[in-house]
Amino acid sequence: MTTNRISHKWGMVVDVDRCTGCQSCVVACQAENNIPINTEDVFRQRRAIQWIHVERYWEGEFPDVRARFIPVFCQHCENAPCEPVCPVYATYHNNQGMNVQVYNRCVGTRYCANNCTYNVRFFNYWEPVWPESLRNQLNPDVSMRSRGIMEKCSFNVQRLQKAQRVVEGQQGERLTDEKLKEGNYLPACVQACPTNALVFGDFLDPDSQVSHLKEEHLDGHGRGYKMLEHVGTEPNVIYLKKVDIHAKEVVKGHA
Amino acid sequence: MHELHHPPTPVYWGMTAQELTQDVVQRHASPGRQFWAIAGVLAGLFALGVIGFILLLTQHGVDNRREWGYFATAFAYIFVTAQSAVLVSVALRMAKAHWRRPLARISEMFAAVGLFNFLLLIPLLWVLPPTDGRRSIWFDWPGRSPHLWDTIAMGTLVVLGLAILYFASIPDRAAVRDQAGSEPSTKWRGNVQQWIVLNRGLAVLGGFYFMLLIVVHMLISVDFAMSLIPGWKDSIFPAFHALNGLQSGVALILVTMFILRQTTGLRKYLEVDQFWGLSKLLLAISLLWFYFWWSGFFVYWYGRTPAEQGVLRYIMFETYWVPFFLAFVMCFALPFFILMWNIVRKTTWGPALAGAIVLVGTFFNVLRYYVPAFAVEELSLHSLEHIPTANLPSFIDILVVIGALSGAVLTYMLAARVFPIMSMWELREGQILQRVRKLMKIEVKVLAKPE
Amino acid sequence: MQERVKLTDAQINKDLLRSMEENPLWYWLLVGALGLAVLVAFAAVAYMFNRGLGVTGLNRPVMWGFFITNFVFWIGISHAGVMLSAILRLVQAEWRRPATRAAEVLTVFSLMTAMTMPLIHAGRPWRVMYWVFPLDWARGVYPNVRSALVWDPSAVFTYLTSSILFVFIALIPDIAVARDRTTGWKHVLYSVLALGWRGSVRQWKLQLIAGILLSAVILPIFVSVHSIVSWDFAAAVSVEGWHSTVFAPYFVIGAVHSGVSAVVTVMIILRSMFKWQDYIRLEHLDALAKLLIVVATTWFFFFVLEFLFGLYSLEGPEIRLREMQVFEMPWAAFFVAFLVCSYFIPVPMWLFRSVRRSIPLMIFTTVLVNVGMWLERFIIIVPGLARKQGLTFTWGGYTPSAVEIIIVFATFCMVSMLVLLFAKVFPLIPIGDAKEGVVLEDEIKIGKVKVPAIMRED
Repeated sequence: MTTNRISHKWGMVVDVDRCTGCQSCVVACQAENNIPINTEDVFRQRRAIQWIHVERYWEGEFPDVRARFIPVFCQHCENAPCEPVCPVYATYHNNQGMNVQVYNRCVGTRYCANNCTYNVRFFNYWEPVWPESLRNQLNPDVSMRSRGIMEKCSFNVQRLQKAQRVVEGQQGERLTDEKLKEGNYLPACVQACPTNALVFGDFLDPDSQVSHLKEEHLDGHGRGYKMLEHVGTEPNVIYLKKVDIHAKEVVKGHA
Repeated sequence: MHELHHPPTPVYWGMTAQELTQDVVQRHASPGRQFWAIAGVLAGLFALGVIGFILLLTQHGVDNRREWGYFATAFAYIFVTAQSAVLVSVALRMAKAHWRRPLARISEMFAAVGLFNFLLLIPLLWVLPPTDGRRSIWFDWPGRSPHLWDTIAMGTLVVLGLAILYFASIPDRAAVRDQAGSEPSTKWRGNVQQWIVLNRGLAVLGGFYFMLLIVVHMLISVDFAMSLIPGWKDSIFPAFHALNGLQSGVALILVTMFILRQTTGLRKYLEVDQFWGLSKLLLAISLLWFYFWWSGFFVYWYGRTPAEQGVLRYIMFETYWVPFFLAFVMCFALPFFILMWNIVRKTTWGPALAGAIVLVGTFFNVLRYYVPAFAVEELSLHSLEHIPTANLPSFIDILVVIGALSGAVLTYMLAARVFPIMSMWELREGQILQRVRKLMKIEVKVLAKPE
Repeated sequence: MQERVKLTDAQINKDLLRSMEENPLWYWLLVGALGLAVLVAFAAVAYMFNRGLGVTGLNRPVMWGFFITNFVFWIGISHAGVMLSAILRLVQAEWRRPATRAAEVLTVFSLMTAMTMPLIHAGRPWRVMYWVFPLDWARGVYPNVRSALVWDPSAVFTYLTSSILFVFIALIPDIAVARDRTTGWKHVLYSVLALGWRGSVRQWKLQLIAGILLSAVILPIFVSVHSIVSWDFAAAVSVEGWHSTVFAPYFVIGAVHSGVSAVVTVMIILRSMFKWQDYIRLEHLDALAKLLIVVATTWFFFFVLEFLFGLYSLEGPEIRLREMQVFEMPWAAFFVAFLVCSYFIPVPMWLFRSVRRSIPLMIFTTVLVNVGMWLERFIIIVPGLARKQGLTFTWGGYTPSAVEIIIVFATFCMVSMLVLLFAKVFPLIPIGDAKEGVVLEDEIKIGKVKVPAIMRED
């Protein structure tokens, strides 16, 4: 590792108001990261691997029922509960604010998954297999995970690494939002989201979109919140609340 | 090893049962001038405490909870030490430890202090806020449940303790009356039936006292401390509180025995054997003190949630770090380093010193819960958002604490005028059940174990 | 009171070495049957290694299940050894004598069995060395000392080493007895193991001191082992049902509860198998049952604390967790069974002297306790994970697979088999201790009755 790298703190802002629950982020993630096919069987066993998944909640009583969607993925917590409990340092915090998983080290105790507040760590219960027809679809930049190890959202670290090699190493410039977009370096889920509900960027860069959103929405004056904040994990992912016209009426009524 | 472990044979074995009774009764009849002098001083201090209490009530009123922190500390301290001291006799009687006999009454007499302790609870009931909108073990129970149930539980405990003291001293009070030549006791004749009832009754009462004491520890510690600090959800705390009680109970008896040895002529009854036995108990409990504290602290420290960090900073490492530090040193570190040596354990001063240290340490341990708990204003939150500043004792607080402690000691001394301080019938029983015999070349003690 | 037979040294030798010297058919049939079950489990483990953990019932979010429950259970049983041997030795409880060896041996074998559980439960069991030992010289990545899973093997290995030492030190005089009564290769073997024991005063003194020292040293280890096991759970801040400060003492006292009960079960079985009625007497069971009343009640108090303060904050997920434990089938059935088996049947029964001194009732109650204690760990571990935090979308359940059931069942067979095999090689009741007990027995005459008494040379 070179010593004077430009420091980053990668993170995401998820606008729940824009999420339609279309699952394109899930598919994009699946394709980008060589995640094995989640068959019906695997779903039934509750062993599906989806680094990003859209959780669906029902709200209200029939007939006034509404579906709520919220995309959940690794929150890359600053204070990640999964990190200290791994006996072999298979998961740790890197210097860019990300929680990374080292597949080679993992022995599969699954303690990190137990201690994950958001249930976003996935264990390979079976050896991954793909149908012959998908052989050429696999991403050569992402390593395969054998059975018996843990995996989770990496913020597409392979793309970021490439970006840093190209933009910061060769061109000597800082990775800004534009550079990420130009070089096709954004995480697959962000690229795939049709409603731009997912915004990826660097919280240390004051000009990035995520920094602006954070400033605008966090600390009680906007729609921003962090998931399950009382656990004190300090996630690097900010959610923006759904704007609910009906909910407002209710709140007003109470007030 | 043998020389080291061989306890001296108690002197009172050489006496006949009659001599023993006579000796104890005589001591009971004439307490001496010193006794009344000390009692007078304590009564004076207690009067000062009453003045302090009146000042507290008139200047701050019951709504200003923060000012009552030290009063609550005094109440809790007396509960923790004195009421648990009764348990020592109860537990050792259950375990059929022969060496308990000389200290049985010394321990049981602390039940009388329970009465005084109950008086201290009464004003606190007005200070304790209702449970609406805050966490409490009473959940949705109606109205003022901690106020009601804590009073009932505490009252029952005091009555149970007094019952133990009353029943356990029946044969001795009969003996005192007989010796004094006054009207001989009509009810207690000492027949087999009565002894069986007495023994069974004491066992049952003791069992209930044991369980109820733990329950009251839980109620007091949660209602008057834990539930008043938002974000403090600590399942081991009631057990830790009770353990601290047991520890200080043992310590209290050690100190009382030492004082009795020095000031009265009870040397021949209170032998090294008693100090040795209790000191091993105190050592074990001091280690457990650390273990229980560590179990609670460790889970909080590793967990690192905002609520947990707030509590740790408040009552352990920032605001009240001084009392915590003192409690840690005096409840665990010092007694451990003093009592880990068998040579020290087999003296009278070693265990008594450790006991005195533990008593002071317990005060600080109690202080670091109750003073901070009474100083939090906003109770409906789920974690401590603003940590209140430390509440240092005012002049009134010092008066109240000293007065309360003097009152407790005074109660004990007055109880000693009613009940003989040595449990004569248990001493006599001990004489019967122990022998010294020769095995090969050494003398050994033979202990009977009736089933 | 049962009459005590005055036993001669020769009689004691003959009786207590019976398990080693006689070769009844039922013994080998029993060992064979147990061995077969263990072999089947080996095959199951091999199958699991070959196919992956998919063959278990584990899933997301219930990543730990039967194996970890069983691990905690056997670690719990292993606490019997020290509880009975070390603590009772230090407090000089006379009735410990016939129970110590069985308890210590149970400790060693249940620890070994317990250790296999997390190892086969790892995703890549062929790499567990990097977790259990500081092995990674090549990569320079040592195990993460912040993880409770690294404290576990450290504590368990320390405990195993010291318990083996503990057993061995106590065994030396008995091995010498065996040496003197055997010929041929057995004689050579026992001679080596007896370390030149001649029974001189100095040797006895050294053995005594070693025993007391080991007792004192092993006590903190004993407390640390199950505390650390409990911190595997309590340190997990995200699993609210586990994150409870009372866990360490709750687990330790629960372990003692199930461990001492298991020792009573084992003692009763051995008593009838090898006709040791004169050594394992009813008064011993009586005393152990009294101890169990105290232990069980303390344990129950901690359970109440754990449950009460689970509900205390009245937060949604925690209430739902308790609802799952108490009201949802099959957990509701397990919950009731757990409480009834480990407390509400045995303890009231033990209050009666006639129960404490009845062989069938004691074996019934102590087996019940362990059924209950197994369930206790199960309903702590699985519902805690299944109702983790507020993201209800991922909440789940767990059903064990046949592979898991076979392996868990076989662990019971394995421990029984190992204890039986041990009895073939070494005496399971300490001969020296039994003889010492006979010497120290005494009587005191009070009026017309003779009261049993004990000499104390302390």
